[in-house]
Amino acid sequence: MKFTARLPDGSVNVPHTHPLVELAWLGAGLAVAAVAVFVVLGWAGEYAAARLPVAYEDWLGARVAGTFPGQESPGLAGRVERLVATSPPGSPLHAYRFRVVVVDRPDVNAVAVPGGTIAVFRGLLDQARSGNELDMVLAHELGHFAHRDHLRNLGRGLGPVVLGLVLFGRDSAVSELVANLCLTLEARYSREQEAAADRFAVDLLVAANGHAGGAVDLFRRLAAEAGPSLPYVLASHPHPADRIRQIEARIASRGYPVRPTEPLDRPAGRPPSE
Amino acid sequence: MLEIVLNNLGLFLFVGLAVLGYFAGGLAERRHYRSIREREAELVHLPVVSSEDILPDRPVARSCLVTGSVVVSIDYFKRILASLRNLFGGRVGAYETLVDRARREAVLRMKEQARRRGACMVLNLRLETAVVGRSADKKRGLGSVEVVAYGTALVPPRG
Repeated sequence: MKFTARLPDGSVNVPHTHPLVELAWLGAGLAVAAVAVFVVLGWAGEYAAARLPVAYEDWLGARVAGTFPGQESPGLAGRVERLVATSPPGSPLHAYRFRVVVVDRPDVNAVAVPGGTIAVFRGLLDQARSGNELDMVLAHELGHFAHRDHLRNLGRGLGPVVLGLVLFGRDSAVSELVANLCLTLEARYSREQEAAADRFAVDLLVAANGHAGGAVDLFRRLAAEAGPSLPYVLASHPHPADRIRQIEARIASRGYPVRPTEPLDRPAGRPPSE
Repeated sequence: MLEIVLNNLGLFLFVGLAVLGYFAGGLAERRHYRSIREREAELVHLPVVSSEDILPDRPVARSCLVTGSVVVSIDYFKRILASLRNLFGGRVGAYETLVDRARREAVLRMKEQARRRGACMVLNLRLETAVVGRSADKKRGLGSVEVVAYGTALVPPRG
């Protein structure tokens, strides 16, 4: 047998795709899979969270209680109690034991924290001029509790977090980044959620006070003040002009009376000694 | 900016290592293939067969064992590519070039040894492979692979 010297043919054992092309294809596949899982897990998380019993929510609330450190305000808690007492007997609000915490932050905002805590930022209290305005803000947050919006967003955020944990592991920077982005208690609500909470708030305000006075006062002031540095509430909530229009439409369609508000003699939430 | 980098150090390290792996690993691979092709052309006239009983048509004075062994490591970029491939299945091209280089390099080293011994032919070529390194069988480690080529070198009488 004759031996013929021949160079090895390298063409069969190595791929002929450029590694970056392969990376792009695999990355695109991963992105499509991630989006699919994100949507499915987000939907499942939201579905489950919206049906979470209040007792379990309290357990969750005890674990996130330190997120908004502040002073408990018995005055504001009293207002919440009065609002809850006037809500219909079937309302899920009766299952909660609400507390109101005043957080020393300049943002004009309030947050519904799982477990029945309403965190009100100092900036909002400084803006409030009447008890009716405070009732409106608190009733708006109660609306988020009644519709379980605060849990829906948390449940939706669980999707990408679980995905990150599965793909990258527990001690990975990617998982941590995703968790920081998605598991925030200050999650933004959708436009519809905010509008529904506003409608809920007007109804509750009228049930408690007998009239809708003060429902739009705070938003009016914010809209007028909105300069180059928009307060936080403007960034995370729908435009105040839209909210005012929708709230006034609600008041008009239900025929709610609007009477003068009761002004606050001192900035809300501050103890009398100050 | 610095704060963002420091807060997500792991992530930036990951991307940085991947970029480093792509360029450094790519450069090493191109240079290695160039060297492999040159040496293969140089040693092409030394026959190596996997058969046991093909004898050359000239007298053989003695025979000896010749071996060539290579250990290569994957780079970070290849590891990412391969772990993505693990999700979807299919041909792990990132590792194929690596194993191809290791195998051809091992055979070349064996042939170089055979030539130094004055061999005219290598019979019974065998290739073995092993996974090397403490972290090689772990999920998160960078693994290395060893390829050993060995065969029987036939040396013709002197003169």
